[in-house]
Amino acid sequence: MEQKIMAGIGGIGIYGIISICIFFAFFTLTLLWAFRLKQNYLQHMEALPLDGGEKNSADSIQLKKL
Amino acid sequence: MKIETFKYDNRIVRAFAIATVVWGIVGMLVGMLAAVQLFFPDANLNLQFITFGRIRPLHTNAVIFAFVGNGMFMGIYYSLQRLCKARMFSDFISWFHFWGWQGIIVAAAVTLPLGLTTSKEYAELEWPIKIAIAVVWVAFTINLIGTILKRREKHMYVAIWFFLATALTVAVLHITNSMTMPAGWFKSYSMYAGVQDALVQWWYGHNAVAFFLTTPYLGLMYYFLPKAANRPIFSYRLSIIHFWALIFLYIWAGPHHLLYTALPDWAQSLGMVFSLMLIAPSWGGMLNGLLTLRGAWDKVRQDPVLKFMVVAVTAYGMSTLEGPLLAIKTVNSLSHYTDWTIAHVHTGALGWNGFLTFSMLYYLYPRLYRTTLWSTKLANYHFWIGLLGMMFYVIPIYVAGITEGLMWKQFTKDGFLQYPNFLETIVQVVPMFRLRAIGGTLYLVGTFMMAYNLYRTAKAGQFEPDTEAQAAPLEKTSAVVHGKLSWHRLLEGKPLLFTVLSLVAILIGGIVEIIPMYLIKQNVPTISSVKPYTPLEVLGRDLYIREGCLGCHSQMIRPFRSETERYGEYSKAGEFVYDHPFLWGSERKGPDLAREGGKYPDAWHYNHMDDPRATSPGSIMPRYSWLLTQKLEIDSLPARLNALRKVGVPYPAGYENGPAQKDLQAQADKVVANLKQGSVKADPDKEIVALIAYLQRLGTDIKSAPVTTAVK
Repeated sequence: MEQKIMAGIGGIGIYGIISICIFFAFFTLTLLWAFRLKQNYLQHMEALPLDGGEKNSADSIQLKKL
Repeated sequence: MKIETFKYDNRIVRAFAIATVVWGIVGMLVGMLAAVQLFFPDANLNLQFITFGRIRPLHTNAVIFAFVGNGMFMGIYYSLQRLCKARMFSDFISWFHFWGWQGIIVAAAVTLPLGLTTSKEYAELEWPIKIAIAVVWVAFTINLIGTILKRREKHMYVAIWFFLATALTVAVLHITNSMTMPAGWFKSYSMYAGVQDALVQWWYGHNAVAFFLTTPYLGLMYYFLPKAANRPIFSYRLSIIHFWALIFLYIWAGPHHLLYTALPDWAQSLGMVFSLMLIAPSWGGMLNGLLTLRGAWDKVRQDPVLKFMVVAVTAYGMSTLEGPLLAIKTVNSLSHYTDWTIAHVHTGALGWNGFLTFSMLYYLYPRLYRTTLWSTKLANYHFWIGLLGMMFYVIPIYVAGITEGLMWKQFTKDGFLQYPNFLETIVQVVPMFRLRAIGGTLYLVGTFMMAYNLYRTAKAGQFEPDTEAQAAPLEKTSAVVHGKLSWHRLLEGKPLLFTVLSLVAILIGGIVEIIPMYLIKQNVPTISSVKPYTPLEVLGRDLYIREGCLGCHSQMIRPFRSETERYGEYSKAGEFVYDHPFLWGSERKGPDLAREGGKYPDAWHYNHMDDPRATSPGSIMPRYSWLLTQKLEIDSLPARLNALRKVGVPYPAGYENGPAQKDLQAQADKVVANLKQGSVKADPDKEIVALIAYLQRLGTDIKSAPVTTAVK
């Protein structure tokens, strides 16, 4: 769709078409990459911020209740 | 396996946290002062140093680079150490970064009120400070990459990707847009002129928003939101797609700031299409953030940290939907130059950056001081008053912006402008400016409440300068798994390779925009009657820059009948070939000045500058009475002309040593004679004379001679 929109723009020339093509190639590769990732890796990454390695975690501190 | 014990540096996090709060309050106070002057111009107390044109850039620089900048560093220094399971690479560099950054902020706070500015939005600081920014930024990048290299965690979490992209892209943007020719210690002229300068500036300006206000904060969202909710991020896959699509697309969208200007049509349309595509990754990121809270919304009711985060992420979604919509040419034709843009940026600044910063501060203080927050109730009050303040700020300004846009375009049924006097349209929205100031005050009151709450929290607890942590050292791993090459592992295992690939992703968009810039240079239709500014006009133009006139007056008439009827012939690219820097502006609180020359007599300008309300009752323009009494500084004229020649303005060799001064004197005498005809007695050596000479020149090159276009 974008190619059609871009082609209709006067004087856009080759830049616009190349730009869109590069983006879609890039985006497709990113999608392929993301969906090929293993589940155990994803689970590890999702939980990564939760373990900061602190010996005496400050996260045990609770905020005061209202 | 051997477990290593090490310490996280909390001192640097605390230092950036304090700086965030202090500069946040300062930046917002300056914003308040600017906001009040928009309905009460005498609030500048007739002092040039605190007049709107000079403090507007001070406000934007303070909130972007001082408030959000320090907030970003606070969050990065806290999260990076924990995500890498390593102390920062170098304590010395950390503190060099901290004090260097604060020094730059102080330098900005001194130079901008003095009128020392390049005039390029969000890049106003003069060249010595720009060099300092580059040095400090490189130090930060070394510290960032050094920490990543010595990490104990095998994988690089997505937040770190966002931090790396920020460090690299800001460096590229800053250096490209800062190419200037010095003309003394605190004066320089952009290497680029007119259309090229505009394109580079808005490529920078747009991506300053993208890579200073957005990508680092997204990284922080991906760290602090799961931490505060104590649950993993909704989808790590989505975060990967979010990252690559966002950094790839963002860099292309800059030209949407220049729609319907003299920029070539195809570049404008490219900017528009890529802006629209940006909605997808932006909303992917917002949904990833909000869906992390699925099943934990009960916590949001109790925890002010999460409350601030939810509004921040929602505001991110709202502004990243609105931004692309504003980039549609037809919408932009109404919104550009109006307060709509101001409302848009404040949804992002107050909602996304402000609220996420507040949430991080509320999260960090109790942890740094190993105590509980002094008052959760006060934090909740802050949340509500901040939210109310934000609404009171943006809604009136949306109304003002749309009102302005519609009034500027309104024709009578006979085909005449309904509101031919620009002043009518501004007077109409002044009540909205008052409401906006109330909203800003509420937001500021909330920030003061937070500052007090954090202070009491710090008093009640005990600061932990170093947090002890344990982790196993990183094993040497191969990118080859089960005999196959794992690209993902290769990429993550080599941060430098990752960095290079991120750089390639942002450079593709940059190059596609920059190469046409050079093509434009060869193809800008030059206009034979367009000549370089005279010496007096050069100095007058520099005064226009010093006073920040472009904060309220554009110099770019778009090709709409509503604009050509009001201001005259639309602006052509060829008219700006000697404009170093370009002064198109981005906002109209006053009329466009592109064709101002010859519209009014010299004496009118003199009286208008002395007291705008004497010539234009109801005007919100400040008085510039100091221009009438201050002596024009001409000693630097040779250096200025020389610098301009070096960037391509064809002044004859040796012109600055004698002939220029004679021409200046002759033109000043002529202005004084014109003023005398208008019953105004003035000395030729005053600043006002130079400014009048410049204003009377604007747009006259095309008026004075028939337009003959030629291609270089």
